[in-house]
Amino acid sequence: MGMHFHRFEKIWLIFGMVSLIVFLSIVGVSAFAMDQHPSGGMDTIDPEKVEETPPFDDPGVRQIDEDTYEVVMIAMAFGYEPSQIEVPAGKEIVFKVTSTDVTHSFTIVDTKVNMMVIPGQINEKRYTFDEPGEYLVLCNEYCGAGHHVMSTTIKVVE
Amino acid sequence: MGKKKNEENLKGTLVSVFLVGFIILIMWFGAYGLYLSR
Repeated sequence: MGMHFHRFEKIWLIFGMVSLIVFLSIVGVSAFAMDQHPSGGMDTIDPEKVEETPPFDDPGVRQIDEDTYEVVMIAMAFGYEPSQIEVPAGKEIVFKVTSTDVTHSFTIVDTKVNMMVIPGQINEKRYTFDEPGEYLVLCNEYCGAGHHVMSTTIKVVE
Repeated sequence: MGKKKNEENLKGTLVSVFLVGFIILIMWFGAYGLYLSR
């Protein structure tokens, strides 16, 4: 004697399963075929030796090639180093961030750059600024008494 | 007749859950669209 499903139950189950397949397909295709995935990288670093370990021994902006710039930043309570950076619009910017103390985040407002900054790990995110201007960077991960003032700006120029 | 009454009750339930389901779909695609636009 098999299980009996009411007709409406079948309709609802099919709707739910199709929705799930659609969501997983969209996310799967965008992750593997279009290279859109959460910021990542499995690189690790000794959090007590950040300032003497390359590339964090010289944080800042450096050009990798004609269309790519690397921005190396250190997050700490309660700011980012370097505090002032300037990058060009229309070029791919590779952000590499780590922390020397507690967990922070590196979030550029109104962009999809939003990543955790964890001591002992190097997180990386690639982004291209289409428009020049000043972009606010905030810490979205509670890190202590000064968390609410932890911010910096990125100046994007032509 | 009892069976018909049950069917009507379940129709209301089905409409309600589909409403919730469509709201979930709209929110999902809305959030995904926001992600793509940034």
